Amino acid sequence: MGEIVLQAENVSKSFGITRAVRNVSLSFNRGEVRGLIGENGSGKSTFVSMLCGIHTIDKGRFLLEGKELKVKNQVEANRKGVSIIVQEMGTLSGLTVAENIFFGNEDKFVKYGIKNTTAMNRETSRLLEKYGFSHINASTMIDHYDFETRKLVEIVKATYFNPKIVVVDETTTALSQFGREELYKHIKRIKEEGNTVIFISHDLLEVINVTDTISVLRDGELIDTVKSCDVTEDELKRLMVGRELGSHYYRTDYGEAVSGEPVLKVEGVCVEGHVRDVSFELHKGEILGIGGLSECGMHELGKAVFAASYDRTGKVRLARGTEINSIPDAIRHRVAYASKDRENESLVINATIGDNICLPSIDDLAERGILKKKKMDRFAKKYADMLSVKMTGIGQFVSDLSGGNKQKVVLARWIGKDSDVIILDSPTRGIDVKVKADIYALMSELKSKGKSIIMISEEIQELLGMSDRILIMKDGKINGEFMRAPELGEEDLIVRMV
Amino acid sequence: MPEQVIQEITNVKTEGGSAFNRVIRGIMPLIGLAAIFLVFYILTDGKLVKGNNVELILSQVYTLMIACTGVFLVMTVGGLDFSQGSILGISSIVISYLSFYSIPLAAVAGVAAGALIGVINGFVHVRFKIMSFIVTICTMFLFRGLCAYLTTNAPVAAVPGITALNALLWFKLLCTVAVLLIVYLAFRYTKLGISLKAIGAGETAARFSGIRVDLMKFIVFVLAGAITGFAAFLNVVKVGSITSTSGSQLETQILIALVLGGMPISGGVKVRFYNIIVGTLIFVILNNGLVMVGLDAAQQQLIKGIIFVIVVALTIDRKTLRVIK
Repeated sequence: MGEIVLQAENVSKSFGITRAVRNVSLSFNRGEVRGLIGENGSGKSTFVSMLCGIHTIDKGRFLLEGKELKVKNQVEANRKGVSIIVQEMGTLSGLTVAENIFFGNEDKFVKYGIKNTTAMNRETSRLLEKYGFSHINASTMIDHYDFETRKLVEIVKATYFNPKIVVVDETTTALSQFGREELYKHIKRIKEEGNTVIFISHDLLEVINVTDTISVLRDGELIDTVKSCDVTEDELKRLMVGRELGSHYYRTDYGEAVSGEPVLKVEGVCVEGHVRDVSFELHKGEILGIGGLSECGMHELGKAVFAASYDRTGKVRLARGTEINSIPDAIRHRVAYASKDRENESLVINATIGDNICLPSIDDLAERGILKKKKMDRFAKKYADMLSVKMTGIGQFVSDLSGGNKQKVVLARWIGKDSDVIILDSPTRGIDVKVKADIYALMSELKSKGKSIIMISEEIQELLGMSDRILIMKDGKINGEFMRAPELGEEDLIVRMV
Repeated sequence: MPEQVIQEITNVKTEGGSAFNRVIRGIMPLIGLAAIFLVFYILTDGKLVKGNNVELILSQVYTLMIACTGVFLVMTVGGLDFSQGSILGISSIVISYLSFYSIPLAAVAGVAAGALIGVINGFVHVRFKIMSFIVTICTMFLFRGLCAYLTTNAPVAAVPGITALNALLWFKLLCTVAVLLIVYLAFRYTKLGISLKAIGAGETAARFSGIRVDLMKFIVFVLAGAITGFAAFLNVVKVGSITSTSGSQLETQILIALVLGGMPISGGVKVRFYNIIVGTLIFVILNNGLVMVGLDAAQQQLIKGIIFVIVVALTIDRKTLRVIK
């Protein structure tokens, strides 16, 4: 295959005592789409961050076309021909689409110290048209667009200047099918233009389909590089984890009747602009899946049931008729909610693991209003250990943890609260296979203990694999209900989503 | 510049913040206190700790330390309170008026007046979702104006006998220790502390954890007002009569003292109760020492300003830097 465009030579990086990347040497060919996979914390993101100047390199170096690549930030990396599309929001609010695309490169529109906005907008419109995104307006504030559209803007931003290396870091997790297709199209175009794409994703099937070759990292070390056309999902999983994984991580039982005893009743819930008159019942020991396209209102519905939306109408009642009208109500009556937005809503990122686990339970932990540190520590430790959170101690800050471990802390706090109804929004989003399997196992265990779960998910396989019953939403309304059955397939659900 | 940009730039620098750094950051204020003490001890040939001066230093500590205790709570949730000086002024005037009827009644009324201004601050901040520093700057002007109006013709004098309390060293000390202790116990042993810290560290996540964020923020401003209202009582005891400038600049003194004591400006889980005590002592000794060394007022300002900038630059937590609420 073609000539080598980028080489990594013994690249290493440590954060404190954690050795995130160890002596990784890799070469990338011109016109290649290379997958980079590994569990959370295996060093994929750190590796590409060093390439793009987001992190400094501890040891080793990168060679771009034979010359050492030394960049201090992303703008510099762009100038050298390396760009990145990140997992989270990469656009800057308060700027227009055009300003975002040319951020750091406004110079070419500046004459005598004055920026020619018209020329910049014109150029942006031309680019957007070329990319097939003519529904996006160059001079509109980026804030007017939803997450997905902003991602499309990022694609333009990262690729318009024809960079030699484009890194796509877990971008697809946040995208709907439409957004993904658009991204694949542009990956293919970049490849055809003779440039190289480094593609990071947890969705192994996607990686196999999109890439030419795949490099596997584990614990910061390079394990192997394989050809995508002759590898299977299971082989990749084995390489990632280093041992055989049980092939069934979803539930395998079918046909066991769920009790008819309702624990939660949702009656005519509306949220302006998102949810329209939704009613359903949740039964004891049931896993109720809620699926749909990302804008169908299901994420808002989860918040509304937890009473976290500001303008909900309709009623949410427990079995005995208790109404849930505020978050403290919900928590007091053992309703739990794990948000899709883990970083902002599920966890106080800049606080310790211990504080995060104790927070919902502080009223239970207090004796006559008095909180004892020892008791809180014991409580936090018990549940962190129960979920085997990888940590240096409960005093560690949540911001230091990987995505999978963060989610474990979220679950630990709600299990510590002994929640009876658990609303999980995208519980395995951005989480690697091993932790994913842990989370599914935990859900089954909770179910067997008679707890009820509402699982909101954009992943159809997950819905089919885990739910006793599935509700499909479309345009804020329930548009289909399915009972668990082995013959139920993806197509059945998709038909109701679109 | 959008805040994400600042975060992106600064994340890179701070993520290596090791345990060692955290320990250093933790004990730095203590080292600072020791250093400042030592410097002025030497510069004044030991006069810093001789007889009268200790009493003088202490007399400057009481009001400031009590007021700091309230603002400590506000800053823990990531807010700021610039109306503190005006609260002290208004409460002092209320206390002076009422001291003619009954001194205990006057003290209670002072606390109530402070709390009332706190209610206004908290209500406007929470109800209309206006950043606290803007709200409190507004109330600062409002009540400073009221102070000036009430003292237009002459300073407001309290009942002459009230200053007799000033001679009782134990009384002022006891009041200060009592306030510190009560707030400390509430902060450490009830859900107040963990709730306020969580709000400071991440308001949305705190809300999703079941904390009544708006209520807590409101309470914090009321408490800050009430506590400073109590500080005003000791102020009246000390000075006996109130002029239009009573308590002016108190808010900046509080802010500087807390930051010198190691309080992160953005609040959150890294606040420590000793920030109040260490900070106030550093501030007062610094003030006192600069006078004793014989610098004039302008030079003192200059030096304090420089020290403040250096300390903020050294201690500010760039990772959690956000807009102050």
